[in-house]
Order: sequence, then C-alpha cells, then structure tokens
Amino acid sequence: MKRSSVLLAIVVIVCTYFLSANVNAQTHSASKSDTLSYAKTPWEYLPYNRFKNPYKRFFLKTLEYTGYGRHIPEPEHIDTVKIGFIGPIIGSVYESTEGQEDIELKVNQRVIRWDGYQASHLASIGIKMLQGAKLAVEQANAKGGYRGKAPYKLIVRNDNGNWRSSGREVIMLAYKDSVWAILGTVDGANSHIAIRVAFKAEIPVVNTANTDPTFVETRIPWVLRGITDDRQMCYLLADFAFEKLGLKRIAALRATNRYGRMGIDELRDAATRLGHPFMVELQYEEGDTDFSDQLKRIQSMNADGVITYGNTKESTLILKQMRKMGLNQWFFGSDRMVTKEFLASVGKTGGHVAAGYPYDPSRKDAKYLQFIDNFQNRYGEAPETYAAHAYDGMNMIIAAIEKAGLNRALIRDQLVSMSHYKGVTGIKELDAVFSNRSPATLAILKDGKFEFYSRKKIFSDKFNFEN
Amino acid sequence: MYRIFIILATFISLVPQAWCQSDTTVTLAGEPYVYTKWESFTRESTHGGLINDHIFWLEADGDSLWIGTEGGLVLYENGTWKSWTEKDGLPWNVVMGIAKDPKTGDLWLALFGEGIARFSGGYFEHFTQVNSGLLNDVVYGVDIQGDNVWVATTAGISRYNQVSGEWTVFNEKYAPMKEVWTYNVDAAEDKVYFAVWGGGILEWDVATESWKVYLDPDGQMEIDLYRDDGLVHDITTAASYIDGVLWAATYFGLSRYDGRNWRGYMDHDSGLPSNFINLVAGRSKNSAYNCTDKGLGVLVDYETDTWVAYQRDTEDAKTWTAHVMVGKQEIKTVPTNLHLPNHFTTSVEFMGDDVWIGTGHGLARGIGKGYYTGLRDKSPTFGVSRSSASQNNNFRKK
Repeated sequence: MKRSSVLLAIVVIVCTYFLSANVNAQTHSASKSDTLSYAKTPWEYLPYNRFKNPYKRFFLKTLEYTGYGRHIPEPEHIDTVKIGFIGPIIGSVYESTEGQEDIELKVNQRVIRWDGYQASHLASIGIKMLQGAKLAVEQANAKGGYRGKAPYKLIVRNDNGNWRSSGREVIMLAYKDSVWAILGTVDGANSHIAIRVAFKAEIPVVNTANTDPTFVETRIPWVLRGITDDRQMCYLLADFAFEKLGLKRIAALRATNRYGRMGIDELRDAATRLGHPFMVELQYEEGDTDFSDQLKRIQSMNADGVITYGNTKESTLILKQMRKMGLNQWFFGSDRMVTKEFLASVGKTGGHVAAGYPYDPSRKDAKYLQFIDNFQNRYGEAPETYAAHAYDGMNMIIAAIEKAGLNRALIRDQLVSMSHYKGVTGIKELDAVFSNRSPATLAILKDGKFEFYSRKKIFSDKFNFEN
Repeated sequence: MYRIFIILATFISLVPQAWCQSDTTVTLAGEPYVYTKWESFTRESTHGGLINDHIFWLEADGDSLWIGTEGGLVLYENGTWKSWTEKDGLPWNVVMGIAKDPKTGDLWLALFGEGIARFSGGYFEHFTQVNSGLLNDVVYGVDIQGDNVWVATTAGISRYNQVSGEWTVFNEKYAPMKEVWTYNVDAAEDKVYFAVWGGGILEWDVATESWKVYLDPDGQMEIDLYRDDGLVHDITTAASYIDGVLWAATYFGLSRYDGRNWRGYMDHDSGLPSNFINLVAGRSKNSAYNCTDKGLGVLVDYETDTWVAYQRDTEDAKTWTAHVMVGKQEIKTVPTNLHLPNHFTTSVEFMGDDVWIGTGHGLARGIGKGYYTGLRDKSPTFGVSRSSASQNNNFRKK
C-alpha cells in the first residue's frame, strides 16, 4: 500500500512537472517590463500581449543598406543638382491639359483608358506639399545652392492619386531625370508602389504626408518618413476616448479606400485590446454625400462615440448629419479632418470633436514662426501641415546632399542618420525603420477652432472634457 | 519512504535541466557540396562585355545565360558577351525579369517601367498598358506556363495567351488579393505562384483555374507569433515551386510549405545570412538558394538543416567565404575564390551542376565540378556543444 502510494506520488510529481513546463512555454505572455517596443507601442496595445511573446519582433534593429552604391563616383560636371518631387498636383483633367503656370510639371504621363486618369482628389494636399518643398529649394539656392557650386532644381512629377502611376513616375525620376533624391507622395498605396521602385533603383525617398503605418513596415532601407503616423495618432486617440473620457461603446464609420482601411487599423486593435471592441465598423465610398443609413444604424446601437477615418469632405458631412439627427456623442476623426474647410463648414455647432494630429501647429518657437512668415510672404497664405512637413523634408534632403555629396547611397546614409532633426514641425525622432516617432497631438474642437493638446496636457487634472 | 520520495522527486525535477546542459557534440550528418571555384565577372573585368554591373535577373538557356541588367539585356554564350540596349531596339534598358518559352524559343522580358517585350527572331515586340492588357508598365517578373505568359506588375497580374491573343487580368476584383503589388512569378506545369507585396503568396491551380492565397496567420506586420504556423510575413518577394514544395521569400525570412506543413527560417535560427531575401530559387524539395542582402544562403539539406552561406566576411575581404552550418551553428568555413566586391545578391540560376549569381555589382559562376545533391556520406565530428546547437535547431532530425 505504501509502495503504491509512493509510486502514485512520483507519477503525479512527474506529470505536474512536465505539464507545468509545457503550460508555461505555451502561455508565456509579454511582460509589461519588456522594454523593446516598436513604434513606442504601449504594452496594452501590443498584439497578443496577454497570451504569448512572439517568436520574433521586427523593426527593432536599424535597417541597413548593404549594396554597392557608396562606391559610385560623383559626376565631374554638373549644371544643377536635381531633386525629385512626386505628388498629386493636378486636380482635374482640365488642368492636366492646360497646365499650371506655377508648376514645372513634366507632363509626360500617358493618358490611358479612362478619363481623369491624371486627376487626383488629393491635389489640394499635393499642391501644399509642392509649395513647402519649393520654398526650401528657393531658400537653399538663395544661400548659394549646392556647396556654392550649382543651384538645386526641383523636378516635379504628378502622382494622379490613382495608384497605378506613381511607380513609373519614380522610375522616370530615377533613370531619365537623374535626380539625387525624391520627396513624395501622399496616398498610402501610391507610396508603397513608389518605395518598391526606389528600392530597385536605389534612390532615397523622403515621405512627409503618408501616415499609413505599414508604409515603413516593409524594411526598405531607402525610405524615410518625416511625419508622425497613424499608429501614434490612434494610440493617443484611443487613450483619450477610453481612458480619459471612459467611453466603452464606439461605432466606426470609415472610407472604404486604403486610407480608411489602414488608418483605422491601429485604433480598432487598440479598442479590442482594451476590451472595448468597435460595436460596428461601417463603410462609405469616397464621394458619398448621404450617410443616413449608416448613421441610423449607429443611432439604434446607442453608441457613446463615433469614429471616422477619411478625407475632410466626407468627415464634415458625417458630423453635420449626425448632429442633425440628434446624435450628440463624441466624434473622433483623423488628421485629414483638421482643416480650414472643416471649420468653415461646421462652425461652432460641431459639438464634441477630436482628431489625432501629427504635430502641434500652435507652437511658438522662433524657427516655426519664421517659416510661417516666409511662407506667407511667398504664397500669400498661411502654411498648413502638408506644406510644413514637406518644407522640413526638403530641407533634410538638401542638408543630406550638402554633407554626402552627389551619391545616392551616401545621401541615404546622411538622411537616416538625422535621428533628431529639428524642423519647423518639431524634432523628428527617427526609429529603426526611419519613421518619425515624435509625439502626436490631439486636436479638439472648441468654439469653432481646433485646440491642440499633448498627451501630458490631456491627462493633467487641469483639463476635464465633457462626456 | 519519505526520504526516497524526496530523493526521487528531486532527481526527476533535475534530469531535464541536466540533459539540456549536457555538453554533447553536434555532427554534420554529411558533407554538403561547397562551391569553392568561381568565375567572377564585372563590366571592368569583361572590358564592357557585361554592359552593366547591376544585375536583376538570370535565365539559363542551355549552356548560355541571359542576363537582365539595369542597363540592358546581355547574353553570355561560349565565353563571349552580346548585349542589347535601347539603341538596338530594346524598348527600355532596365530588364527586371526574363523567361524563355520552351515551345517557341521566344524570350519574354519584364521591363521596369515600360511593360514587357517579346524578343523573337532578333526583333523586340513591345507590350504596354496602352496597346495590351497589361495592368501596369512597372513589371517585376514574367514566366511561361503552357501557352500563357504570366506577368507580375505593380498593379496586379496580367496573363497573355499566345495562341488566342487574349489578355486576362487579375487584381483585387478578380483574385483574392489583399494587396495587388505583385513582385515575382514562378510558373510550373500544374501551378503558378505569385509573391504579392503585402498580399502573401497567391497560388493559381492550372487544372481548376482557381486561386488560393497564403497569408501570415498572425496578421501583424511587427511580429511573427509562431515559427511554423504559416508564411513568415505578408511582405513577400519571391516564390519558387519545385517537387511539390513551395519556397517563399520575404524581407523577414524564408518559408517552406510542402502542402501540409510550414517551416520558417530566419537569420537567428538558421544559416540564412540575413532575413532580407531578394529572391529564392528551389533546387529541389530539400534545397533552396536564397539571395540576401548579405550573401547567398543555401539550404543544402532540409532534413538535417544543413546550410552553406557564401559571404564577404568583412568590407575589406578580397574573396567570399563559405560558412558550413547546421541550423545557426557554424561548423566550419571554407575559402572560395569568388571575388565580387559586394555581396548584395539579387538573382540566382542553375546551369547543370553550375550555379550563377547576380549581385548589385557583378556576376559570378560557381563551377560545380563533382557536384552532388544533399549530403555526402561522411560524418566528421566537430566540437560544438549540443546545448547551444539544439536551441537553434530543434527541428533537426538525426
């Protein structure tokens, strides 16, 4: 009897030992003390954080370029130092045939298949980018141009916003125009196409307008992003909605396009990981004007907040139609909603509105104020986010060329080494994949204007927001 | 009795740890073939015969080699070089891919930014978005399956039937494409595979004319949750299908799929020189050649996880070194005479027992004298601790 008891005990111990070891191996979850976090992702928002440490975490080691490019000699004679610009700058077919006086556009895209191929609904953004980029080039030339030897020249190509052309335009910039680096573009899909081409052609690309998180999550070592992305903006928005305001029932209504799909991704994941998954995620087509069907459904769900991800026009209409229907809950949106057009349309009747924003445009530092003055003098209007970021991006390119000389790989090296570049939009904090991780701000509507809040300010006791 | 119980319990709990820490040796299950003799070619060394050093694609044609470069099309034949550029009628100098049609002998070219071209009877026929069913002029790859020319474009897949002249397009509307940016195509008799940037691997079944998609099961860009749960990552760069096995390259590692099981390889758990794989070419179901940004990583024998990685060990190294590895564990190094100045490998092609590699600066041919597949039956013992090797190579079969 005793012997059998001992044997039984041994069996139990052995089984317990191996079972516990196995269970431990299967369920070891990410610890809050784990400091390695890509994109400054808070522990609460790490994927699978409560279940398992991943087999491999990516994007923690600095990307390398290991090719031959650094050995290519500088050209002996140059008349100009060309820098490429690609962005949506033609808003209609009419413009594409008539041209715009102020744009040195090489219209060598072939018009194919469908009307309006060259037109882009994002032209309003592209034009602002071009203005910022041109101002930077003009200022550099006023100081003597490239090492006092030759002027910089901006080679401008249109990106039609239809994602089928940007690749060829980058190819032309690289092989026909022989530019040294490229600034652009806006749309997430176009940007992805452009950087794959840039990788094969081995040419640096600085992006200052695409906030799609996946853009840099491709390990292309020739790409730098100078604008805070949707990850940072969504994390702040989620913290604000769920922690500060204590909301629990969020409904989403977003654009079906790639911007809407990818932009809202991190917010959806964050909501789920905090235990408040979206009640519903409805969609609309770009250009829609009537959102009543979707809003009626949201109304029936008694949501205490509505989030949208899309362009200004649709976001404005959604908000106005919500308020008209008596839906007065918090309305959250993306940075593309924070525009003059939105404010002009919504006025002081917007109610509770908040959106992520990539920087603080209400800053008062001297460099930024000087830029605003210069821009105002040059174009007769105030700069907005895309102009300011493009101005910074072009200045980074020019600084890199000045240091590196005329070699694309060395220019790339200089660009990615600017891990704390001080621009007019603030300090660029580049991470291991060369994406700016400077803190996002929150734009909150108050008395018909947007006020900008840092995370610290939002969570300080001084500020309480009505729920 | 209680003492016996305590002693036994202590013994049992300590056994696994002691086993893990035991200092046993790893042995090569056999000797892999190592390419030690190479012929290296650059524009300089060939006096301009190789018109451009930036190599994008290699295509064997019997004992000849077609070479797609950033500056034109090149043919290496009987020790001589012949080239075609825009001056010779080539529609565009940047040749990203080449496929030879075994039925017609025509050469199909993927032109980076200018569609595709058929090189037949000394003339180039040019297909673009304007005059054909090509979805986009930015073309990354082309391959032949039966009468069909399959084209990987940045806006999806186009298929041209050479007999009927019919074009068919596959994008997000007509195929299960999460994204449409198609990077590479590999066609076999029964299946055609596409590496879709951000969209994993697409499989076209020739018999049923249907699609199947393979994606990273964890659905996250920033992690790989489990090693062998499926495709390593959705950002795929190349696919290679041979002996019923799919090899899939990504910028995050390599995947192997035999129709039932997946196996993932990364640079921390295998002989891959880097996770950044530009191209993979399967040589058999057990062997794959990986063109990485840090050299050529060859999985010589899948069953024993035996690798040979060809790299320049330092920036100043005059020649490349072959590293013989089991899993991540280096067993020995073998010098080679390969002397290209950079090991950013972009392309690989087999020619009988020889292997050709293209890089960002030059081309090389590994002479396969006495080449054999798999491992040679010889098992020298090397002093590598079992514990460290086993951590990296749990999958290895003895």
